[in-house]
Amino acid sequence: MTELLFFPAVVVIAGAFILPLLNQRLRPAAFMLFTLAALVIIWMLPETHSLQVSFTGYDLIPVQTDSLSKIFGTIFALIAVIGGIYAYHNKELGQQTSALVYGGSAIGVAFAGDFFTLIVFWELMAVSSTYLVWARRTETAHRSGMRYLLVHAFGGVILMSGVLMHLNETGSLLITAIPESFSLSSMLILLGIGINAAIPPLHAWLTDAYPNATITGAVFMCAFTTKAAVYVLLRIFPGWEILIWLGVIMALYGVIYAILANDIRVILAYSIISQIGYMVTAAGIGTEMALNGAAVHAFSHILYKSLLFMAAGAVIYSTGKSKLTELGGLAGRMKAVLFLYLIGALSISGFPFFNGFISKSVIIDAAGTSHYETAALLLILTSAGTFLYTGLKLPYFTWFDKQKSEITVRPLPKNMLVAMGAAAFFCTIFGIFPSLLYRHLPYPIEYDPYSVYHLVEVTQLMIFTFLAFWMFRKKLLPKSKIALDTDWFYRKPAPFFRKAFVSYTDNFFGRAENMVNSSVQMVTGKFVNPTEWLNPFSKTAPDARTYTPTLNVLMAFVLLAFVVLGIFTVL
Amino acid sequence: MKNRYWITLGLLTLISLILEFTMLVDYDEHWWNLVPAFYIIWGFTSCVLIIYVSEWLSKLFLFKDESYYD
Repeated sequence: MTELLFFPAVVVIAGAFILPLLNQRLRPAAFMLFTLAALVIIWMLPETHSLQVSFTGYDLIPVQTDSLSKIFGTIFALIAVIGGIYAYHNKELGQQTSALVYGGSAIGVAFAGDFFTLIVFWELMAVSSTYLVWARRTETAHRSGMRYLLVHAFGGVILMSGVLMHLNETGSLLITAIPESFSLSSMLILLGIGINAAIPPLHAWLTDAYPNATITGAVFMCAFTTKAAVYVLLRIFPGWEILIWLGVIMALYGVIYAILANDIRVILAYSIISQIGYMVTAAGIGTEMALNGAAVHAFSHILYKSLLFMAAGAVIYSTGKSKLTELGGLAGRMKAVLFLYLIGALSISGFPFFNGFISKSVIIDAAGTSHYETAALLLILTSAGTFLYTGLKLPYFTWFDKQKSEITVRPLPKNMLVAMGAAAFFCTIFGIFPSLLYRHLPYPIEYDPYSVYHLVEVTQLMIFTFLAFWMFRKKLLPKSKIALDTDWFYRKPAPFFRKAFVSYTDNFFGRAENMVNSSVQMVTGKFVNPTEWLNPFSKTAPDARTYTPTLNVLMAFVLLAFVVLGIFTVL
Repeated sequence: MKNRYWITLGLLTLISLILEFTMLVDYDEHWWNLVPAFYIIWGFTSCVLIIYVSEWLSKLFLFKDESYYD
């Protein structure tokens, strides 16, 4: 059991308990120490390893290591370190501890070998991340955080139900791949994981909550929840064909909404959905190359997406504004942020020498070689769309174009730039040297992203996407609007349900309580001296001092009888 | 945008086309490899398609005022 104490997830979560005991000035450094320690432990874990324990008669594997879990564990720990640097100036204990629990739980999911461990970390992720939304301390963030928590609680219950049914059917809690069969248990598990993976129409919690989270909190959020769900999909549902098409729909869905969005973090949130679409498609294809592609793309995605969220956070921190309709003309005043953002944008768009190039192409090629050519073509279309909104629309209307409102730019804390620099470094280094990443993938891979064919494809695709953007950029002018999404189905009827199940019910119980109270008050009032109304023939109030000794004795016996009865009842 | 940027983009396109018609002539992994300069067509079409479809959907029912849920 001592081995469990040095399990990376436990180390990081234990940090959340130790942090409050430390001096405020030491906490940011301690935050990084715990996450760095987890990263080192993950690297030191053997290639294949499992720790078995028996719990209430069930065999559990709280720690199971293989190359897939190690690659996800590594990137979760790495981004927790980078997020720690980005949030170094933030002294709020609540956010620091929640981020530690959140990161630790994501690592816990990556190494969970059984459903029990998975669900524990799954729920911890939901609860801890909610605080990163609430910590924004605005009414909008409060409401958004509550919706986020409710959706995840609902997803957790669905997953739990599926797992219990699965346990009933198989007698085992161990996580293994489920063959494609649409039984109730597997559908419930898929649905529960699908909510966290933000598969439409179950995705609206993401685009609702992430843009409302704190500047530093959003960096952690964009990395953990959805990618942990992708990891579980790769473990349990590889080769489920339905996932191919769900993934393609996701990829396109995210593009359309990102094009329409006005808030920079809403654009990036829809972009997550689009990018997760690639990984879900890869899980659905299920070949060794596709699963490698999903793992390597998740790794790349976490790096460039957190870089993009950090840059967006830097814009919000500096200007206090987040809408394209209020930004513009900032290029000269935010050169470093713009430069680092562009590295993230080129990475996500799949430009050569950046990490998106070496990961996205593995999935598209896996789709092509597995004869899902329509899916491959639609994913290429999504690539063009990704470049359009992350690489062109967002930077053009944020930093270039004309300034749309009075903007004062306040200087950024150095640590924010250092964190962005670190993420940009990793985006580039893995882009230039893909073998650094490829050699750690779950299956052997012989793939050269820098083939002539691939370079020609990307060059032509990107240049002509740019050309189309330039010709039609007036059509992309941001508007002060929101685009309706599937959260409409629970946000619009919410006031009605709140009235029906909260206000009306509350009122009903309130009235009932008042009625009971007033009747009790009336009865006790009457029984203070019942002889007043028991003897209607006398108008004078009875006085105990005038009672005869016989009556006193009689009343004492009556009282004694009640006491004895009371004692017997209790006994 | 400055002319030199356009010239760079033009040159890159030219190089990609030269490579396509020299080194990739026999490449036929997918049906679309038979279409010359396919990725030029697909990139441009994708972008225009995305812009117009999203605009159409926004007008159809998606766009609401920012205070819609308040």
